[in-house]
Amino acid sequence: MYTLDLVPPGGRVRIVDLRGGRELVSRLMQMGLHPGAIVEVVENSKGPVLVRVRGVVIALGRGLARKIVVMPLR
Amino acid sequence: MSSTKARSAKGGCNVLGCPCTGILTRTLDAKGGCDILVAVAGNPNVGKSTLFNVLTGEIAHVANWPGTTVMIKRGQPVEHQGRRICFADLPGIYGISASSPEELAAREYIISDEPDLILVLVDSTAPERTMYLPVQILELNPKVIVALTKIDLTHSYGIHIHVDKLEKHLGVPIIPVSALKGIGMRELLNTIVDAAEGRLKLRKTPLRVDYGSLEPYISEVANMLLKAGALRRYPARWAAVRLLEGDPKLEEELRAEGKDDLLERVGVVKESVRRFTGREASELLITARFEFVDTIARDVIVRVERDRGFSRMLENLLQRPIIGPITSILMLFSAFLLAFAINIGFPLNLLFRMMGLEWVADLVETYSLSGILSMAFDWAGTVIGDWLTKYGVADWLVSLLVDGVIPGVGSVLTFLPLIMLSFAFLSALEDSGIGPRIAVAFNTLFSRFGLTGRAIYPYLISLGCNVPGVMASRSAIEEEERVEIIYSTQFIPCQARLVVLLAFTASYFRSPLAQTTLIIVIYMLGFAIALFTAFLVRKVLFKLSEPPELVLEIPPIHRPSGKVIWWTTWDFSKHFLRKAGTIIFALSIATWYLLSYGPLGPAETPETSWGGIIGRAIAPALILIGVTGEKAWKIGFLLLNGFIAKEGLVEAAVLVEGASSLPEALRGLGLTVPQVISLLVFSTLYVPCLATLSVIYQETRRLKHTFIAVLYALLIATAAGGVSYLISTALGL
Repeated sequence: MYTLDLVPPGGRVRIVDLRGGRELVSRLMQMGLHPGAIVEVVENSKGPVLVRVRGVVIALGRGLARKIVVMPLR
Repeated sequence: MSSTKARSAKGGCNVLGCPCTGILTRTLDAKGGCDILVAVAGNPNVGKSTLFNVLTGEIAHVANWPGTTVMIKRGQPVEHQGRRICFADLPGIYGISASSPEELAAREYIISDEPDLILVLVDSTAPERTMYLPVQILELNPKVIVALTKIDLTHSYGIHIHVDKLEKHLGVPIIPVSALKGIGMRELLNTIVDAAEGRLKLRKTPLRVDYGSLEPYISEVANMLLKAGALRRYPARWAAVRLLEGDPKLEEELRAEGKDDLLERVGVVKESVRRFTGREASELLITARFEFVDTIARDVIVRVERDRGFSRMLENLLQRPIIGPITSILMLFSAFLLAFAINIGFPLNLLFRMMGLEWVADLVETYSLSGILSMAFDWAGTVIGDWLTKYGVADWLVSLLVDGVIPGVGSVLTFLPLIMLSFAFLSALEDSGIGPRIAVAFNTLFSRFGLTGRAIYPYLISLGCNVPGVMASRSAIEEEERVEIIYSTQFIPCQARLVVLLAFTASYFRSPLAQTTLIIVIYMLGFAIALFTAFLVRKVLFKLSEPPELVLEIPPIHRPSGKVIWWTTWDFSKHFLRKAGTIIFALSIATWYLLSYGPLGPAETPETSWGGIIGRAIAPALILIGVTGEKAWKIGFLLLNGFIAKEGLVEAAVLVEGASSLPEALRGLGLTVPQVISLLVFSTLYVPCLATLSVIYQETRRLKHTFIAVLYALLIATAAGGVSYLISTALGL
């Protein structure tokens, strides 16, 4: 298990855990980033991490991406 | 929660009938003269404003920013089949978990008996994600109609939705619409009337999502609630699910009902979920709900890969690591240069001067939008003045109108074109989907200063005028970031400050290259100080070490809609006109008084006026920025005027010097080059103008904070002015 900011572009992972304040976690979950959700990393270099989840691209700051624990698919 | 009930007084009361607040209107006439009241809910970016605007013929955009006050705004009633249908615009939300004030306000409105129907919008170009909200709402309230928005775009994205199947799954009417193209609007209104009058069957019971292994726990909590008669205004099953998910509002209500023991027992149930499954109940519930949505989505949505050509190419380009940010900055830069060029001729005038085409440069300046407008106001002033004098109107009144009111109104209106142009460009970038990508590109830089990339919007708007820039701080999600933006935007040089910079540099520097360099340096200084201020507010005022977190949806790129651009532009400009207009108008009268009167009545010269006296009082302090001697009081007087409105600084020079032209007046001040440089640096930074200051107060609602903002600006400006005086003297300029 590792965090979302370490996933290379094109990687598909499953979210395992969200660490962070209640409001932030609730907001992320309602946007589809809940534990169990499968996300595809679209872009991940220096700036925010771009992920595709449920057909929508969402930009997440790197600090935030570090709080999202993921595991590789299969 | 009183803000939940806040709403505009428009809901059906006439001018005379609504002397009091909305609360009273509510008790007298809850429906406010509407036959059918429909609450409109949807995610951000789902096309809610567009639908709302088209339905009600009103422009509601700014009202729905996330911010401190949550307004549930009701539009003008729509006549359809002889019924008056009213729409209440709920804030854009992703869910109704009550984790933010917007969500709570929307939820309270949905469970109140006020709306007859709830219209939930699902974005047909992102159905898998946006279908979560109607499912959540349907679990609470069955009186729902769903509109599938942006239906004109669905096929170009390679998406097909089986509407009839979706209707069966959710058990509610589904209407595909495109507000921009006018597709399905009649049908939507027909459905609303039919549903409200019982000709069309809606759901009778809330939607039941299968929560699988959690069902026993849900029943247990629901029974506990029923037996204790707790939380009776909600369906028991829904309240049980929400309590297991963790809901601050419901927990608070339980405590208020004196049922703390119940709350403890819910905690025990949650604990046993954790023990048996190894996971949090909240996680399991939200996952199950999304799985429910996924099951429906798999059955009703067909997606095929579509080649989207240019849009796709632009998306790829803007997402590239280094090229992306550079491209987006270039796009922004050219948009603003274009706006500046149309409005005041800058930087075309300097370019032509550099090429030695003096007359072309003059032409560009004279026939720029603001040039034409100021000519018109000069002309109007002269004509009206002559006419009034001819008919024997008192001198002081003529002077008030010609020297106070007309230039005051003029100064507001000469700003309008640039503000509208800036907003038009910005909303085109926003609507096309390029804007969010620009915010992403700026995020890395801005996060070093405690801001997210989203702060680029208020900063860009501030280049036109700081007033709407401060207002745009509301787009920040985090409260601390909002305050950072409010305090820092004032250092972004607005158009009025550009006017001052242009006038002084043109009068004191021969070489266009020197003029341009100085202006660019001051702009960069302004931006740097703004970022530094944001950093300082975060570190010192809020004592936060982490930057705010960026969470931003990146919609696909598409051609922007002219209608949407116009709505946003007009809505923003209206706010500017109303807020800044009234203040600037009032202030121009005050300024007129300060300049025309002194302790002995009407002042003969500016020196004996109140303004002159205040200028003299400021003068000794100016030694800090290198300005001393006889001219010091004049500069003090100029700065006083600049505080009232930034461009007033140069206009005051004409008054003080009694000169016939602006360059003559400015040269007449007899400043040295280091003095000009330090004065320009100082005047760009020293205080926001009065209009901006009043908006800072409005947004913070703290007199102390506003006062600190001014003191801080004075301090920064004095330091920067003093240093630039020393540097330019040392360089022998």
